[in-house]
Amino acid sequence: MNGGWLGRYLRVDVGLGSGEIVELERSTLRAVLGGAGLAALLLLRETPARFDALGPDAALIFAFGPLGGTPLTTSAKLAVVAKSPLTGRIGDALTSSDFALAGKRTGFDAIVVRGQAAAPSVVLIDGDRVTMASAADLWGSGAAIADVEAALRARHPGFEFAVIGEAGERLVRYAGVVNGGRHAGRGGLGAVLGSKQIKAVGVRGKQRVIIADPGRAVALAKDLARRSLGPATEKYRELGTVANLATFNRLAALPTRNFQASTFEGAATISGEELKLTRERGRGSCANCTIGCEHFYEVTPGAAPVKAEYESVFALGPLCGIADPAVVLAAARACDELGLDTISTGGTIAFAMECAERGLFPEGPLEEATRGLRFGDGARLLALIDDIAHRRGALGDLLANGSRSAAETLGPPAPDLAPHVKGLEIPGYDPRALQTMALGFAVGTRGADHNRSGAYEADFSGKVDRLAAGPEAAEHAIASEDRAAVMDSLILCKFLRGALTDFFGECAELLLAVTGEDLGADGLRAAAARIVLLKKLFNVREGWTPAEDTLPARLFDTPLPSGAAKGTVLSRERLGAMIAAYNVGRGWERDGGLPREALIAAGVEALLEPRG
Amino acid sequence: MITIELFGVPRLRADRASVTVEAVSLGEAFRALGVACPALDPAVVHDGVLRSHYLVAVNGLHLTADPTTPLAEGDVVVVLSAEAGG
Repeated sequence: MNGGWLGRYLRVDVGLGSGEIVELERSTLRAVLGGAGLAALLLLRETPARFDALGPDAALIFAFGPLGGTPLTTSAKLAVVAKSPLTGRIGDALTSSDFALAGKRTGFDAIVVRGQAAAPSVVLIDGDRVTMASAADLWGSGAAIADVEAALRARHPGFEFAVIGEAGERLVRYAGVVNGGRHAGRGGLGAVLGSKQIKAVGVRGKQRVIIADPGRAVALAKDLARRSLGPATEKYRELGTVANLATFNRLAALPTRNFQASTFEGAATISGEELKLTRERGRGSCANCTIGCEHFYEVTPGAAPVKAEYESVFALGPLCGIADPAVVLAAARACDELGLDTISTGGTIAFAMECAERGLFPEGPLEEATRGLRFGDGARLLALIDDIAHRRGALGDLLANGSRSAAETLGPPAPDLAPHVKGLEIPGYDPRALQTMALGFAVGTRGADHNRSGAYEADFSGKVDRLAAGPEAAEHAIASEDRAAVMDSLILCKFLRGALTDFFGECAELLLAVTGEDLGADGLRAAAARIVLLKKLFNVREGWTPAEDTLPARLFDTPLPSGAAKGTVLSRERLGAMIAAYNVGRGWERDGGLPREALIAAGVEALLEPRG
Repeated sequence: MITIELFGVPRLRADRASVTVEAVSLGEAFRALGVACPALDPAVVHDGVLRSHYLVAVNGLHLTADPTTPLAEGDVVVVLSAEAGG
C-alpha cells in the first residue's frame, strides 16, 4: 500500500479468542474509502442475511480511515458499525481520539468482532496478536465507564480501550460504546458488544501510518488547521453545539415535550449562552483536533464538570419539559457513566411522560410505575435513566427497548406518538420547522439521524423554504448524505465542512496526498453514492420496506402550536413527493427499491464477493 | 423601529441580546448594527453586508442574508450562525 490504507483487516472471534488476518485489495479500498464505507461493506460480507443483531452471527466493526494517524486536523476518528438492535437496520456511529489512533497502529484498516464469549471478557489486540482477559470483576460492578477504562489502562499498559457500561451489559438497545469520554452513541452498538459478553476492546500497536506525499500532506494539514480556526467553526469553539438551543427555540425548531411543541418556555435557562456565563468550567478537544468544540459545565459546586452537547441538553431538557440546568446536566452525566445514548434516552422517556399524562399505560405494574409521571419532573427523569440502564422493573425493562418497541407494547395511539424513524429516536431538529431535514430523517439508513444526513444545512442556507419544502429538497438531501459519507469514511470531523470551499475537490486532494490515489472530485462523489448504496443494500437485505421511510404520524397531524412558525404543517403527501424525488435522484426505484442495474453500475456486486 | 436579536457568537461579541435600529432594508439594518455594536464589525457585519457563516431570520421565519430584503416597522431581525451542526 502506498499510504494511508493498510490493506488488511482483523477478524476476531471472541468465542474462540483468536484472530484471523484478511487481505483487502486496493481496488476495494478505493471503492469504499475506509471508515464507515469500509465497515458497511464488511458488515455485508461478514454476516448472513437476517441475522440476530444480538446473536453470535452479529459483527461489530471498528473501522479506521485512510487519513487517520496523519497530521490532518480532526482525523483521529473511527467508525463503529453493526446491525442496530434498536432499529434492525445498519447502525454506524463515529467516535474519535486516542482509541482511533491506537487502533490504526495495530496495522489494520478495520477490526471485525464476531462470535460470543463464554464469560465476560476483555479483547486485547496487540498488533496481530489477539488475547482475551477476564472481565468478571468489571462486569456488573456498577463502576462508571471512565473508572472501568482507568482500571483497564492500569491493568494493560499501553492499550487504549473502547468500553461498554452497565446499559450495554444489560442489552439496553440504545447503549453505546465509549472511549476516552467519546461515544459511539447511537443505535445500541454497546448492546451488541454486551451480547458478546465483551466489556471492552483494547488496542495497541506500533504500525506507523505511511503517507504517500509527506510534504504535500503537511502543507495541506497546516492550511486546514489554519482554516479550522476561522469563522466556520467559531460557534463550536466559543459556545459548543449547545449554541443551537436558543437559536432553534427562536426559529420554532426545538422539539419540546415529545414533539408536542417546537418552542420551550424554559429555553433561556439551559441555552448555550447562559451555560457559558454561569456554568462553563473548561474546554477540550479530541486528539489531533484544532477546533476544540467540547465545553464542560458545572453540575453541582465542587463536583467535576460534565461535557454536554446540544443533543444531550435538548433531549434531556426541552424534550422532557425540563428547564433546570442542574437536572439536565446531571442526566447527561448519568447517561455518560452508564453508557446510554442521550438522544434515545431522552426521546424514550419523553414518550413515556406523554403516555403517562394521557393515561396510556395499562393497569398493573406499568401504570403503577408511571403514576404521577409528568413532563418537567427532573427527579423522575434521573430515576428512570437508572432504571433503564439496569432494566429495573417493568417500566425500566420496557423503556430499555426504545420508544418504538414500547409503543408497540402499549398499542394505539402510542405508536403515533413514538418519536422515531426506523426505531431511532429523532434528534433535536423539528422536522416541521426544518423540512429538508424531514426528508433526511425519513430516508436515513440509520433512522432519524442528523449525522448521516445534514439536510438541515439546506434549511439553514436561505436557499430553500424551510417551512414548505418540496421535491427540490431531494437534491440537497442527497448532497448532504454524500458529503457525510465521504467525511465518515476518510474520516474527518463534520465540523470542518464549513471550512472547505470545494468539498469534493479538497477531500480528493487530501486523499491523494495521503494514499497516492487520485480519485478526483468525481471519483469521490461516486464513492459517496456507493457507500450510501451499500448501507441501503444492507437494510434491504435485513428486511427494509418503503413504509419505513416516513415520520411519526403526529408530525403530519399536528401543526406547530407556537412560536415563529406557528401553524406550520408538513403533509404526508408533500413528504411522499420529496421521498420519491430523493429515490429517483439516487437512481433507485421510485419507492426506494434497489434495481440491480444500480448495484452493477456502482460496482457493488463485485465488491460483495469476499476475497479474504 | 426594527429590533435586532442576537444569538450565539454575535451575542457574545456584542455582549447584548438585542438592539433597536431604524432601517427599511436588511442592508440598512446591518449597517446600523455595526454602528450600535462595533464589536460586530467586521466579523459579523461590514459595510451593510452580513458576513458569510451568518444568516438572519426576519421575524424568526425565512432565512436570508440578502441586504435588499425590505423591512417593515416592527419587524424583528434574528441574527444567528449559519452552522447548525449539533
